[in-house]
Amino acid sequence: MSMRLNHLVVSHADSTLVDVGTLDFERGRPVTIVGESGSGKSLLAHAIMGTLPANLTARGSLAMDGQTFDLSDRANRRGLWGRLMSLLPQEPTLALDPTMRAQEQVAEGATSFTTDSSGARRTAGTLLAALGLGHASRAFPHTLSGGMAQRVAFAAATIGGAPVLIADEPSKGLDERARTELAGLLKLHLDGGGILLTITHDLDLARELGGDVLVMKDAHVVEQGCARQVLTEPAHPYTRRLLEAEPANWNHAWARRGAPPEEGGTALVSGEGLSKAFGGQQLFSDLSVTIRAGERVSLGGPSGSGKTTLGNVLLRLLPPDAGYVHHAVALRGGRLQKLYQDPALAFPARVALRDPFGDVIRRHRLEPARLEELMASLGLTPALLNRRPGQVSGGELQRLAIIRAMLLEPALVFADEPTSRLDLITQELTVACLMDQVDRHGCALVLVTHDYALANAVAGRRIPLGVAVTERLVQGAGTPV
Amino acid sequence: MAPFDTGRTGVETGKPAQGGPPALPLVPAARRRLVPGTAVQGVAAALLAVLVLFALIGPLAWPDHAVQDLSRFLEAPSLAEPLGRDHLGRSVVARLAHATQLSLMMAIACVGTALLVGTTGALIAAWRGGSIETALNGLSEAFIALPALLVILIFSALANGDLWTLYAGLALSQWVEYFRMVRARSALVLAGPAVEAAGLLRLGPVHVMRRHLWPDLRPLLTTMATFGIGSSILALSTLGFVGIGVRPPTPELGLMITEAFPYYHEAPWMSLAPVLVLSTILIGLLSLRSKEARQ
Amino acid sequence: MNASTTTRRAIAAPAARVLRQRAVQAVGLVLLVSTACFAIVQSLPGDIAYRIAAGRYGYDQVTAASADTVRAELGLDRPAWQQLLDWLGDLVSLDLGTSLVTGADVAGELGLYFSSSLQLAAAALVLALAVGATGGALAAARPGGALDRITTFWVSGARALPPFLLGLVLILVFSVHLGVLPAAGHGEASNFVLPAATLAVGLSGLFARVTRDAVAQIRQSEYVRFAATKGLGGRLVFLRHVLRNTGVTLIAYVGVQTLILIEGVVVVESLFAWPGLGHALVHAIFWRDIPMIQATAVALALLVVVLNTVVDLGSLAIDPRPRRREVVL
Repeated sequence: MSMRLNHLVVSHADSTLVDVGTLDFERGRPVTIVGESGSGKSLLAHAIMGTLPANLTARGSLAMDGQTFDLSDRANRRGLWGRLMSLLPQEPTLALDPTMRAQEQVAEGATSFTTDSSGARRTAGTLLAALGLGHASRAFPHTLSGGMAQRVAFAAATIGGAPVLIADEPSKGLDERARTELAGLLKLHLDGGGILLTITHDLDLARELGGDVLVMKDAHVVEQGCARQVLTEPAHPYTRRLLEAEPANWNHAWARRGAPPEEGGTALVSGEGLSKAFGGQQLFSDLSVTIRAGERVSLGGPSGSGKTTLGNVLLRLLPPDAGYVHHAVALRGGRLQKLYQDPALAFPARVALRDPFGDVIRRHRLEPARLEELMASLGLTPALLNRRPGQVSGGELQRLAIIRAMLLEPALVFADEPTSRLDLITQELTVACLMDQVDRHGCALVLVTHDYALANAVAGRRIPLGVAVTERLVQGAGTPV
Repeated sequence: MAPFDTGRTGVETGKPAQGGPPALPLVPAARRRLVPGTAVQGVAAALLAVLVLFALIGPLAWPDHAVQDLSRFLEAPSLAEPLGRDHLGRSVVARLAHATQLSLMMAIACVGTALLVGTTGALIAAWRGGSIETALNGLSEAFIALPALLVILIFSALANGDLWTLYAGLALSQWVEYFRMVRARSALVLAGPAVEAAGLLRLGPVHVMRRHLWPDLRPLLTTMATFGIGSSILALSTLGFVGIGVRPPTPELGLMITEAFPYYHEAPWMSLAPVLVLSTILIGLLSLRSKEARQ
Repeated sequence: MNASTTTRRAIAAPAARVLRQRAVQAVGLVLLVSTACFAIVQSLPGDIAYRIAAGRYGYDQVTAASADTVRAELGLDRPAWQQLLDWLGDLVSLDLGTSLVTGADVAGELGLYFSSSLQLAAAALVLALAVGATGGALAAARPGGALDRITTFWVSGARALPPFLLGLVLILVFSVHLGVLPAAGHGEASNFVLPAATLAVGLSGLFARVTRDAVAQIRQSEYVRFAATKGLGGRLVFLRHVLRNTGVTLIAYVGVQTLILIEGVVVVESLFAWPGLGHALVHAIFWRDIPMIQATAVALALLVVVLNTVVDLGSLAIDPRPRRREVVL
């Protein structure tokens, strides 16, 4: 079987959100669409599936096995769901019914479920066991880790035997190890002779999958071709820009890849024999950390490894179970600052940004002109201050958070996954702003990140934290066989 | 007190807007509002304003609510007596004006006290922690499980319809809602990254209070107080209706309804007047609420 | 050890915790209410013994001697703290005393009151849930449709009409004018209709609104969309996913509304002369019948705890997620 998409146009009122020509899909050859959010790539997937939001209209047609479907009628593909085409959802932890056991959620996807439910349950059990989840088949979703939930969702989406699988941002929120597992799952579908369309902003996932890659920007496909070629020798300027924005390819003055850690600076933060357990899980024990003036350190590890917790212990926001943390005098009076993963939560939510900034300036008797200066140098307009945090984009808000931290000329900035919610290009811009300021003030930086390439591009020294015990949650619920 | 579900139901866990890239086109169309907005609220506000005026000026215009004149038993409405006279020949409009004033004043006093006590207690508990917090939490645990009407009933048993026991009972039955709401909200806010950042920036407690806590609490407190005034008026009239509220002959809406009930056939205006005032207050306050929710 | 026994234990442990928490709460409530009742006795204006004697024998018959009898009978001549300890001690030994008005054994009458209040509350709750949940689910099927508008109107209408007024209207219409239903009485099925309906009207409106919002929200959820793209038909998606998750929300909401239900019970019982706890309490307050006030107030508080425990266990049964206290305040 094969599938062909003809001239798809998705529009909202009078704006065009997707406009692509003809796309061909073959068995066993993955097609991956990359691009930033807002480029229309997710809408393309939903238009094929027939799950577009009601306020959008689609035009075009989809040919499958000699049958042609008009894409403006969103109902004509409902009968194909599960049997011929299936969707692997964005966030598997949200896509599983919280009140239903894993096996049951997989079983109901089987075509025989309405006629032979116990047979469907057996098939589901076998499928879960084959994915290494035999012990979790009776588990409820809240006891599953992100990667395990992904595998359950994969089982539920594929048990009906649909040859066409559409995966919409499947690696959202997954760490590197879980992403590799995910790529393995998707390849499993291809090996069975399936058609795979993956939507992602994650270029590493696109590389791992191979096949064909399409790059989308502003509703159009700007470049397409074999993955190896598009992702190494891009022809379109936008694709080049996208690739350059990957931390591994950064080429900035402040990028100190491979530079040795500075020795001999004053110790700003020193932690001795630190231990911390959380929810019955030992995150780290007898750990000693010293952060010196002017150095750049990254705290790395997969999700759940206790990176953020260690950070908060070092900042003395959280007491350690054992050991102690000493702060140098140089950090007093607000000269230790922190950047947060979600900047929208780091500002008071219900007042205009002008107010918290005004409070900082008044409290520390700063020159108001310094704020304007900093905003101008980070490319932000003063009008942004009249908005509330929720009304400013994530990238701009993170730059405002950088400015707020820098107003006090800190000796140490602690950045907790500051760009993990941002697009590649916005990430590069934001990190550039941060590093520019760090360079200028000569302050020390601790960067918490799960992104090895980013850590490598920014920091001179890396403190790795233990491997996440992904299976711990289910075993904690008490269902080992 | 039934129709008002206040803070006990609500306190939606404060999930702030997610940051990150906006997923604009995939967001479904904004939820349609079923009740047409501003016109209804304008009418509600106008009706409430008229009632407040009536409560303020009425008792001055018709001061003699207690004068009986049995010869004017169930007199029909006229220009001089817009609502006629009751079964004891008393002026209904005078009694209604005094009753409305009493209800509104009691309600405002009770809600004000409950709000002040509950909010202060909650902030002390949230900020100080320790044994104060444990004690206040334990007290609120016990109160939250008690029906407010039961608290008021027990209090009204303390004295025979004295106004101060009713006031104390009503306030005591409501403080816990404000305490729980403010406690839950401020714990969320105080534990959030924004307050943590304010701490690292050394901005001090005034900043936290003014920029973080108060803007977060204000809309909820306004909504709860609006509800609370309705609940208090309703509780007062319910007590009057079952005969254990304000002592006769003091005019009170619920008491007036009970007294008028046997004559509903001969003198319908006598029953309708207090019922209308009561329903208008309740509907008016409810309709104002959607305005609060929108802010 | 196999998976099913551990899972069963995993469910049994939270149930035990719920029972333990509710038991502690019940003890606390009983102490609070009982101490409050004691405070009433202590602070009643005038000579309590004299008043009680007057209540018992009529104002004309009261003499200093009869007041002294009452005083000695109730031990009112001892220090307050001794009386409080005695008071609580009697409660622990389930000695609730005799009614000061009728002279009947309070404990004996309490059982009847408790069961008829429970019957009324349960009937109203079942009626409100049946009407409200069905109406809400149907309204959610077509947002903005006729049924949705009717539900919205119903919600605001029911909320603006206090239960005692609603009861009066129902009595006027169905008993006085149409004469089809009795306004007072107890024991026959027809007696249930008006009191239960009075309570259910307001509650059903609230339940309808919550159900409507929950169904609409769950319809938009990722797991319902995923269930559809798995290949499940609309009916199966509704039965297997929407229904149960709506139940989780609705049950939690019922728990929140039990207080309002019990308040309604007190009012409605007085209105319809329903021989339950509320009616007895209001009467006892009117006559200053202290032992009866204490017994009925404690029983009402316990009724709330009983209903809440049932709700807790129900939500535990259909929602496996660990409880977060701050969600259901």
